[in-house]
Amino acid sequence: MKKTNCYHCGNECKVANAVVFDQKHFCCNGCKTVFKILHANNLNGYYTFEQAPGKIPEEISGQYDYLDSAHIAKKLLDFDSDTTSIVTLNIPHIHCSSCIWILENLHKLNKNIRAAQVNFPKKTVRIVFDKEIISLKEIVLLLHSIGYDPYIRLENTETKKSESTDKSLIYKIGIAGFAFGNIMFLSFPEYLEADEFWLNQYKPFFRWIAFFLAVPVLLYSAQEYLFSAYKGLKHRIANIDIPISLGILVLFFRSAYEIVSGNGQGYLDSFTGLLFFLLLGKLFQQRTYAFLSFERDYKSYFPIAVTRIKNKKEEAVQIYDLVKGDRILVRNQELIPIDGILINGEGILDYSFITGESKPVEKKSGDKIFSGGKQLGNALEIKVLKPVLQSYLTQLWSNAIFQKDKTKSFQNITDQISQYFTYIILSIALLSGCYWYFTDPKISITAISSVLIIACPCALALSAPFTLGNILRIFGKHKFYLKNANVIEKMAKINALVFDKTGTITSSQKQKITYHGEPLSVHEKKGIKSVLRNSNHPLSRALYDSMRNIETSTVKNFTEITGSGIQGTFQNLTFRIGAAKFASTSSKNNFLETAVYININRKSKGKFIFKNSYRKGIIPMFQILKTNFKLTILSGDNPGEKSYLEQVLPNNCSLLFYQKPQDKLNYIKKKQKRKEKIMMIGDGLNDAGALAQSDVGIAVSENVNVFSPACDGIIDAHVLKKLPELLKISRRAIHIIKASFLLSFLYNIVGLYFATTGQLSPVIAAILMPLSSISVVVFVTLTTNFTARNLIKVKDDNYHLKTNDSKILSLD
Amino acid sequence: MGVIYLLISISLIIAIGFLIAFIQAVRSGQYEDSYTPPVRILFEDTPNEAIHKNKPMNKS
Amino acid sequence: MEIQQFYYDNKIVKNFIYATLFWGIIGMIVGLLLSLMFLFPNLTNGISWLSFGRLRPLHTNAVIFAFIGNALYAGVYYSSQRLLKARMWSDFLSKFNFWGWQLIIVAAAITLPLGITTSKEYAELEWPIDIAIALVWVAFGVNLIATILKRRERHLYVAIWFYLATFVTVAVLHIFNSFELPVSFLKSYSVYAGVQDALVQWWYGHNAVAFFLTTPFLGLMYYFVPKAANRPVYSYRLSIVHFWSLIFIYIWAGPHHLLYTSLPDWAQNLGVVFSVMLIAPSWGGMINGLLTLRGAWDKVRNEPLLKFMVVAITGYGMATFEGPMLSLKNVNAIAHFTDWIIAHVHVGALAWNGFLTFGIIYWLVPQIFKTKLHSKKLANTHFWIGTLGIILYALPMYVAGFVQASMWKQFNPDGTLVYGNFLETVTQIIPMYWMRAIGGSMYIGGTLIMIYNIYKTVKKGVVVEDDLAEGMALKKISSGRILGESWHKHLERKPVQLTLLATITILIGGAIQIIPTLLVKSNIPTITSVKPYTPLELEGRDLYIREGCVSCHSQMIRPFRSEVERYGEYSKAGEFVYDHPFLWGSKRTGPDLAREGLKYSDSWHFNHMFDPQSTSPESIMPRYQWLAENTLDISETQTKMKVMKKLGVPYSDEEIQNALIHLENQALQIEQNLHQDPTFVQNYEAENQAALANGETFTPIRKREIVALIAYLQRLGTDIKIKESQNTN
Repeated sequence: MKKTNCYHCGNECKVANAVVFDQKHFCCNGCKTVFKILHANNLNGYYTFEQAPGKIPEEISGQYDYLDSAHIAKKLLDFDSDTTSIVTLNIPHIHCSSCIWILENLHKLNKNIRAAQVNFPKKTVRIVFDKEIISLKEIVLLLHSIGYDPYIRLENTETKKSESTDKSLIYKIGIAGFAFGNIMFLSFPEYLEADEFWLNQYKPFFRWIAFFLAVPVLLYSAQEYLFSAYKGLKHRIANIDIPISLGILVLFFRSAYEIVSGNGQGYLDSFTGLLFFLLLGKLFQQRTYAFLSFERDYKSYFPIAVTRIKNKKEEAVQIYDLVKGDRILVRNQELIPIDGILINGEGILDYSFITGESKPVEKKSGDKIFSGGKQLGNALEIKVLKPVLQSYLTQLWSNAIFQKDKTKSFQNITDQISQYFTYIILSIALLSGCYWYFTDPKISITAISSVLIIACPCALALSAPFTLGNILRIFGKHKFYLKNANVIEKMAKINALVFDKTGTITSSQKQKITYHGEPLSVHEKKGIKSVLRNSNHPLSRALYDSMRNIETSTVKNFTEITGSGIQGTFQNLTFRIGAAKFASTSSKNNFLETAVYININRKSKGKFIFKNSYRKGIIPMFQILKTNFKLTILSGDNPGEKSYLEQVLPNNCSLLFYQKPQDKLNYIKKKQKRKEKIMMIGDGLNDAGALAQSDVGIAVSENVNVFSPACDGIIDAHVLKKLPELLKISRRAIHIIKASFLLSFLYNIVGLYFATTGQLSPVIAAILMPLSSISVVVFVTLTTNFTARNLIKVKDDNYHLKTNDSKILSLD
Repeated sequence: MGVIYLLISISLIIAIGFLIAFIQAVRSGQYEDSYTPPVRILFEDTPNEAIHKNKPMNKS
Repeated sequence: MEIQQFYYDNKIVKNFIYATLFWGIIGMIVGLLLSLMFLFPNLTNGISWLSFGRLRPLHTNAVIFAFIGNALYAGVYYSSQRLLKARMWSDFLSKFNFWGWQLIIVAAAITLPLGITTSKEYAELEWPIDIAIALVWVAFGVNLIATILKRRERHLYVAIWFYLATFVTVAVLHIFNSFELPVSFLKSYSVYAGVQDALVQWWYGHNAVAFFLTTPFLGLMYYFVPKAANRPVYSYRLSIVHFWSLIFIYIWAGPHHLLYTSLPDWAQNLGVVFSVMLIAPSWGGMINGLLTLRGAWDKVRNEPLLKFMVVAITGYGMATFEGPMLSLKNVNAIAHFTDWIIAHVHVGALAWNGFLTFGIIYWLVPQIFKTKLHSKKLANTHFWIGTLGIILYALPMYVAGFVQASMWKQFNPDGTLVYGNFLETVTQIIPMYWMRAIGGSMYIGGTLIMIYNIYKTVKKGVVVEDDLAEGMALKKISSGRILGESWHKHLERKPVQLTLLATITILIGGAIQIIPTLLVKSNIPTITSVKPYTPLELEGRDLYIREGCVSCHSQMIRPFRSEVERYGEYSKAGEFVYDHPFLWGSKRTGPDLAREGLKYSDSWHFNHMFDPQSTSPESIMPRYQWLAENTLDISETQTKMKVMKKLGVPYSDEEIQNALIHLENQALQIEQNLHQDPTFVQNYEAENQAALANGETFTPIRKREIVALIAYLQRLGTDIKIKESQNTN
């Protein structure tokens, strides 16, 4: 039987429910509907740029009702005037040219939308509309109807972080570069031919233009170096910016003096060049991944509003406004933002956001429910016990650790070196100054200033940014995304690793389902699958999907007993499938395992056990890591896996179970007291505390485009097993930086020779300074790439990139 | 060689003009997304049928 | 506010395409004719307006401004409308641009053959046409900018930036290089003299290449190559970066056209440094263009128009690599004045501009006429013939250049030149000229095939003169404080602008003060013995300009042993202080003339110009017999002197008063000299008799043009010789 794939979403069409329209096959009516909509508005172009670019629209009722409330909707707008409103919506599904095309043609689907502009790297669409004619809800529903559901969460209502964050750096580079180019142009004549009839007439002209060009560079481009140096001095911290600023100032003012007094051309080209390179280094270092965020907390997961039931009426209300005693309605696929008691409905809650555990938890009315769970069944009615901010989960963020900024306390390698550097330079300057003072006083000032000029640690300041920036890129290529360059330096210091278990070292996607008991005949299997087919219970679904190439047929008198299981008759067999007490004669239920019991004709046959499968290559990884690192596994759930883990993991690896978020955090603290440098690797929100507390917190993610908790880095689940290599690279990086420091010192020695002997001419400076900077940059770039290539091969059968990822990679 | 003054002044003024243009461009967020624009130009305009069958007087 | 529908103006694009094809073929055919004149010097014998000197500027102008210029407009008008989602701002300006430009070309095609020229390369057209060019160009710019302002697409695609840069810089360059003081409606003198004139001319000359032939075509490349290959440009970031770096340094590179001339060394070296730096941004563009097609080579294989683009981009890469190499002083010492340069520019023009244009047209015409290209096969043939043509053109010219240069520099052991007679170095390379002519005609053949192909395509298509499109007007929102952005953020941007505005005002102020003073007085050290031209010499010089002698004869002896040995004392800046315009030339098809004065007798010059082969057999110089027949027009002599005086040439009032008498006397002197040649006397008398017989008025030789030209040639470079002789005694 030949496979047909859905024309819209590319999924395989199951023969059972094949949908054909306009000679095209669709996997479901959803896809067909989208096609129809686009077809009707002659937007077939959608399918021309990319094959099957679409996504199955989820049928969800009333999910966006809260957008009706004007003041909630208003919170989402970027801009709002009486005629024009602008909203920027995040749409995770954006992944190809077709997406850009269809979204930017929204106005063809609804005349009232004025314009839509996609930002692909950010996966956002910016929609301009007139809220008098069309409401935000209508727009969102339109998007939903074509399978582009926006991801709207609590955080969207918080004040918009302004786009134009560090554009100033670009301006600074632009101005410095511009001045550099032109001043170089104006200085060259004097280098090329110091004394020539015509030239002598224009020297002043050239010099003064150069001077005017250099002023903005000092006042604007150099700002942050001067400020940071000033701060450094104030707090008695000798950071790299002090010698730099010293160099900058001396460069500028000596040049200014020479030009004003007309007895020299000054070093303005070196001055502007220096800043140009420094700023470039800065730019190169800040590798940002527009499609990722490292600053997430529960706000990124919680909805903006929920439906509150007040005297029999449903109303959308912002979750912050919920108070103890309120009753809320939680529909299928909706998230529970509060701690409460289940009043009625059958809770099948997916806490994978929180724990990384994909297996849903079942709750009966009367049970206590913690916030963060996502309902997978029919609507629930819940009574609020603790409002959002006091809930079990959100409590975690009241911990001080989330307030303090890790980078503050951290002193990077460059600064460490530079503190000595500064003193050495100053002393050299003084010494040579004194020497000349006694031999030839005229030169002494020249000598001092020359020393400060030539010793200006440009190359020193560049080596770290370029090394680390380069490593960031290399990591990025391997789908290991770091928040900033400092993280690499911290990684190099790590000596202990702490892993979360579920969802981190186990895969939250696929479960291992094993059958224990009397073997089942094909006929019986048919029966089981047929019965399962009628149930929407997640376990049933999982089991159903696991039973491949087994046909199904109709089942008589099927019933689902909430909280127990399902039963039905298939031909001559009656099946009971579900919990032990329901389907098994021995009604003792083993709490350490998840199992579905099978009972055929009142006779218990056996059980299917659901186990999390460990990620490929994880166990070997521990064996590699054990030599250099203390290892720990912190698990939020029961010790069911304990025995297994103990035998496969190295014996120096400690295992802890039943760890609450707070416990994990405290555990890290405790270890840190013992001077351990810890890297925490986790996935769920319940690891957020630990991730924040640890020296380096890495979030594991099956798909980097879905959201992960606040952390210093995000690693794609497939490459987690490469952790040893990644750690090694970060160590090598530090070695490289140190080596490059040596290199730049060599240059300094050469320069210092000229300087101290008082024979530093602008030409020498103009040659030496760029030369040292460039050669350092080249050196680090080559070495980093070389080491990285040796340690990890980019080609790896294990992860073939999904189209959207590859697109993202192609961005830098 | 007085002409040197002329040439350099002109060249500088032009260059500064471009510098300003550059800064304005960055400021107005022209370069925030350097991926979508090159893709966007590949799309041919496929307008729906002319709203008014007879050409509108104002062609632009 | 609902969605707006509007129409792209395809008509204007169509017209420009037709113009491109029409002028393209004309310009190329003129080129071919010129190349044949190297082989048959007297091909157009006696027809003054078809002589080499007059046609050469026509060729360069037709190809650069008519062929490439119209192609540029076609591409810009098509792409910017779509990139900006708006019809051109004003149909009138579009039409004005089109017809204005065609008119200018026609004017050029008439005036240049008539010898109405300023003799500045690529700026030969006289002042009224210069003004027209400025007007039309500004109209184009206004139209473009206005369209940008009313655009419906927020992002300005990089191509648009290239177009903007083109407009601004070309406008400024053209205006400043064309500062001329009119003598009459069709005659003017450059306000700059000698070295200064040379510097300004090549500051313009190089940037004409940079901003007329390069930036706009890079813009077109960034639009049409992705469109044709249907894949986004390889790296948009790279395109942005290389645009800005190109813009910041391209404008400085001019002086590399004047290496080893009397231009001050530091200015020369400056040109060298920046020309070398240019390689980075240029190659940025090339690599980006080629990599855009990476992974689409299968498409390239069966899409002829992509093949054209690939060759074009490769050609760009080669030319922009060769350019910096040529501006290295030691390389330039060899290549300058030879056919190497001809090869260099034709790689640029034929491959980069020509082939990109062809590629674009092959893509555009089917688009506009809503049909398929008539025949891919023909397009392929065109591609192969054209490519072969380019190779056959360029290679021989490289060889020719190299051979000639090396022959110029060869010495015998005894210190004399091996090839003392310049002619030997010419006859050597005739075979190369043959191949060049063949290569050129192949290229033209290809173009003709294309024209046929396009004609057929147009026939079967239906022209959609107004292409329906729709879009939403932009609302000004981004400006000012965006919701959520803190005031402080908004304000902190201000210092940048302030500093910038301050700087620019300072500079403008400075410029305004300086310019007036420098235009007239020039502080070049004058050599006392250097005197202004006599009235007759002045007229002779204008004939020299009219006949375009400068396109084959340089007047700039570089300070090399070989050149000093061959031509005499090397040229000094001080010698050119009265030269409005300068006539240094850029190519030596014939020998340098800077020290021609008093080398030969007047009669030699007369015979040589009447029939070059008579004095120097195998010479490829054409006959200039009309000079020996036409009467010299002296009606404007005095005005010319007055204008020169305005420009700082020290003519005294009585000199101007007695100009004509002085002219008469000098002419008479030459007439007498000519009479020393018996054969001349014989013919002259015979002619006289004939005239009397038919009762025609007979103009004596002293009143004819040839005398003035001889006077000028005999003056060339003598001022300093006199000085030397004075020093000796």
